[in-house]
Amino acid sequence: MPGLNRPALLPALAGLLIPLAIGMIFFYAPLERTMGIIQKIFYLHLSLAATAFLSFFVACISGIMYLLRRQRIWDARLAASIEIGVVLTTLVLISGSLWGRPIWNTWWTWDPRLTTSLILWFIFASCLILRSAVDEEGRRARFSAVMAIIGFVDVPIVFLSARLWRSIHPTVIRSEGIGLEPAMLVTLLISILAMLVFWAALFRLRCAQYHQENRLRDLQQQLQH
Amino acid sequence: MNSLRQILFLFGKDLRIELRKKESLVSMAFFGALLLVILNIAAGVDNQVDADAGAGILWVAVIFSAVLGLGRVFAREKENGCVAALLLSPVAPGEIFIAKALVNFILMILAQLVLVPIFFVLFGSNFSGGPVALLPILLLVNLGFSTAGTLISAISAGTRRNEVLLPILLFPLLLPLTALAIKATAGALAARPLFELRDQIEPMIAFGLIFSAAGYLLFPFAIRED
Repeated sequence: MPGLNRPALLPALAGLLIPLAIGMIFFYAPLERTMGIIQKIFYLHLSLAATAFLSFFVACISGIMYLLRRQRIWDARLAASIEIGVVLTTLVLISGSLWGRPIWNTWWTWDPRLTTSLILWFIFASCLILRSAVDEEGRRARFSAVMAIIGFVDVPIVFLSARLWRSIHPTVIRSEGIGLEPAMLVTLLISILAMLVFWAALFRLRCAQYHQENRLRDLQQQLQH
Repeated sequence: MNSLRQILFLFGKDLRIELRKKESLVSMAFFGALLLVILNIAAGVDNQVDADAGAGILWVAVIFSAVLGLGRVFAREKENGCVAALLLSPVAPGEIFIAKALVNFILMILAQLVLVPIFFVLFGSNFSGGPVALLPILLLVNLGFSTAGTLISAISAGTRRNEVLLPILLFPLLLPLTALAIKATAGALAARPLFELRDQIEPMIAFGLIFSAAGYLLFPFAIRED
């Protein structure tokens, strides 16, 4: 378990990479012909979406590991990834709406990806509400593990059902290749990398906080007995 | 006793309690009917509700009334400490899950036997399709609701905010199923034949099967006290 007193390598790296990514987005990547400056949201939007999805994947894996091993550390990882995931998905939905307003002429539409993201947001936000409603540690961990697993199981079905409506969401990464200018692709990759490092830094910090919280509670209990 | 007999025994016990006290069923049917009347008033005096809006109205009434029943099945066990007794008995948690899901399934059907006729009395003059075409859609939604609902009601019964938490946890999970059901119902109300609705029916079957399996596997963790 990482302590809080370790050298802050990941946050420092994120602190370097995020300004670099933003600089590349605005000064290195070329201006898109039809969409113009608005297209630059895409780099942030896609990186946020990738890390948000990673969060929910980690939450599901942590949930399975907790139910198998019953170790506190997996509950800490579950809680941390759900919290980060909900924040990131909120930002994905907001940045997508900001892009959709001028391009699609609407803030919101029931497109498969939008629907999937919104339902994911609802499921994992409800996990946070559930966590706040259970005081007992073991029970809270078990319940949120079950919710994280069944929530993640829901995703493919949501996607399948939402596919019945025609999609207007752009697909940049297709099976035939990537439909991007090389300079744009490099910018995108740096943005995703920056966001991943930032995610890892946040995740480690939050896990460490949970670890400290648990140790503090143990100490409190020992003192009471 | 083999497991099938145990499941039927638990199922019979719960159903007998319910049919004697009728507390869930009466509140489910009453609340659903109340919602239908409110929505009928909201539709206005001329009542021009097309098949799409009608499908939405029916499912709002059905899922809101279903939540009342789903919450009771575990709350009743918790109140008298019966969960501990159930877990001490030689019945596997998976069998408890099947029995409880069956009870919820039956309760939903019984409530719908009241709600669907009321729906057609209030709104029926606008649709060319009849109630019989809705049957497969209702059964598939009941399957998803009763399996996911049983799992989630076991979780929400273990928290401080039981009644509030059940819909908050359950509705996001069942959102795709509800959306598919509304679309299929709109088709059925417009008298489209069932095979034209297979784009909705097939994912609904998949949904029911996946939630049955996931519920069966995860239920022991939701109910076991450690």
